[in-house]
Amino acid sequence: MAQVRLKNVVKAYGSNEVIHGIDLSVESGEFVVFVGPSGCGKSTLLRMIAGLEDITSGEIAIGGRVVNQLPPRARDIAMVFQDYALYPHKSVFENMAFGLRLRKLPRDEIQRRVSDAAGILQIEHLFERKPRELSGGQRQRVAMGRAIVRQPKAFLFDEPLSNLDALLRAEMRVEIKKLHQKLRNTIIYVTHDQVEAMTLADRIVVLQAGKLVQCDAPDAIYNRPAAHFVAGFMGSPPMNFLPCQVGDGGRILHLPGGIDLNVPANRVAECARHSGRSLTFGLRPEHISANAQSGASSAPVSARLMLIEPLGSDTLGVIRLGNGEEAGEITGRFPPEAGLSVGQSLSVSLALNRFHLFDPDSGKAIRGADW
Amino acid sequence: MNWTRSKIIWIAAAIIVVNGFFPAVWILLTSFKTETELLQVPITYLPQAATLDNYIAAFTAQPILRFMWNSVVVAGLSTALCVLVSALAAYALTRLKLPHRNLIMSLLLAVAMFPLISLMVPLFKLMRELGLLNTYLALILPYTVLSMPICTLVMASFFQDIPSDLEAAAMIDGCSRVGALFKIVVPLSAPGVFTAAILAFVNAWDEFLLALTMMNRVNMRTLSVGITLYQGEFAFPWPLISAALIVAIVPICILIAVFQERVVGGLTAGGVKG
Repeated sequence: MAQVRLKNVVKAYGSNEVIHGIDLSVESGEFVVFVGPSGCGKSTLLRMIAGLEDITSGEIAIGGRVVNQLPPRARDIAMVFQDYALYPHKSVFENMAFGLRLRKLPRDEIQRRVSDAAGILQIEHLFERKPRELSGGQRQRVAMGRAIVRQPKAFLFDEPLSNLDALLRAEMRVEIKKLHQKLRNTIIYVTHDQVEAMTLADRIVVLQAGKLVQCDAPDAIYNRPAAHFVAGFMGSPPMNFLPCQVGDGGRILHLPGGIDLNVPANRVAECARHSGRSLTFGLRPEHISANAQSGASSAPVSARLMLIEPLGSDTLGVIRLGNGEEAGEITGRFPPEAGLSVGQSLSVSLALNRFHLFDPDSGKAIRGADW
Repeated sequence: MNWTRSKIIWIAAAIIVVNGFFPAVWILLTSFKTETELLQVPITYLPQAATLDNYIAAFTAQPILRFMWNSVVVAGLSTALCVLVSALAAYALTRLKLPHRNLIMSLLLAVAMFPLISLMVPLFKLMRELGLLNTYLALILPYTVLSMPICTLVMASFFQDIPSDLEAAAMIDGCSRVGALFKIVVPLSAPGVFTAAILAFVNAWDEFLLALTMMNRVNMRTLSVGITLYQGEFAFPWPLISAALIVAIVPICILIAVFQERVVGGLTAGGVKG
């Protein structure tokens, strides 16, 4: 286990800079997940830590030692790949033992470590098989086993579950979490799946176009997104966004469709600084409820139900707020027993203490002192 | 329709097989005939009085085992060297970020098309200056270079199909880049490597012109040149030469038979992803 530290790490291909100066410190034993859309540079960043990609400038240190110039084999890390990358011509045992043999460990030590790892992952019965004789889930376990036997300073996972079907993915996610709880290794995990990110991470690093947008605990990423991008990326369905105008010295938000929301007293100060400005209003689907309640923390709004997506546990409803041409459409998460039907008029309430505001130009979140 | 189609395929295959095998079969039959029988009219197809005398003579009239040893050394070492160098070249061409990669590939192909005769004089002068005439190196070095382009292209097409993550995994597991090439990429490209090796070996085994030019001592002759020594100034003992030819062909046949499956896989790869 070791700390992994990135200092102003930049990657450029010719004049095209793809990673724009990332600063990050992954603490010893911490589980950090890099998340972001395709092409955001998360895998490139992981491969730079592994030494599979050169870094253009900056510094990467593993366990306090700067590893910029070290080849992958000298960095003492292990990696699990998206396509497993098991050696097809070697048996499961040999796949797991390969790295140990290269390091010239004694034979009984190799046997012990491989058996221990296989015991944890329950793959002892597969030792003699070749990778082509294994199912996707078994291959994934072997790939993890190959990493575990090395007892490296840090584990790197590059979208390890994305080739598995949904059920197996959920199962392996739990396995990985259990493994981390048991071994307490430093793990850096790359995924584009926000569920994996939320469920596994101690801290999530959200990347966009080669920039670190937010690095925080899952709860903070979800509830206090630092930017419009983070709010839209994390959460399914994503946060609803509507243009808004701050009025009356920060006491009112004007939304499309002629809707005026009274800002709760504890957030007036925050809004007042932007009085008169056009901002982006954000609200998560679960903060919209079908039973209109009037009060300081929620506002009843008349709406029309445009579309229903039943999920079983909840029902997603696309609703049009207010009236007129410019009325905004947002998605709400409702209990299935709410008995909604398409075209129905209803009064919804918006949880006023949960809304987010973003600067439409910079995309950054606007926060009050207590927020 | 299907029946006609399969008939055409069978006829085409038969023509190719007969065309390819007829000379070899004819040489094999001739090697069991006496000279008298060979020259008699009408000709006989099967030997009327099969004899092994030609084979006995093949081993006694000339040091054919020595020729064979020379061929084995020259073809074997040039093949090993060629595979080693070509593997490195193919790896560089498929995996490293080389500028002008396609140009290099085209140049390789162009080099493979040089007529050997145009290289003969410079090669001979070079070997003479280096004092390598009548040494194995005089043939090993040119054979390696001559087979390298085709071996490189064959291996490159195989290396391209190996996922680069496998090498990345090997490098993280503890291999250097060259280690990953020889521990992971080459074993996984075995059919391609065997194909390249057999091509290089057969090229070297069959080569005549260079072998004749570079080696003028009898005990340094390779098989292909050695066989010509069986003919006299005025005599052309066909059955004896045929027997010597069969002796020369046998090692190649064994080699191909042993590696047949891998070679067939190798020659057809690239057409279908496998």
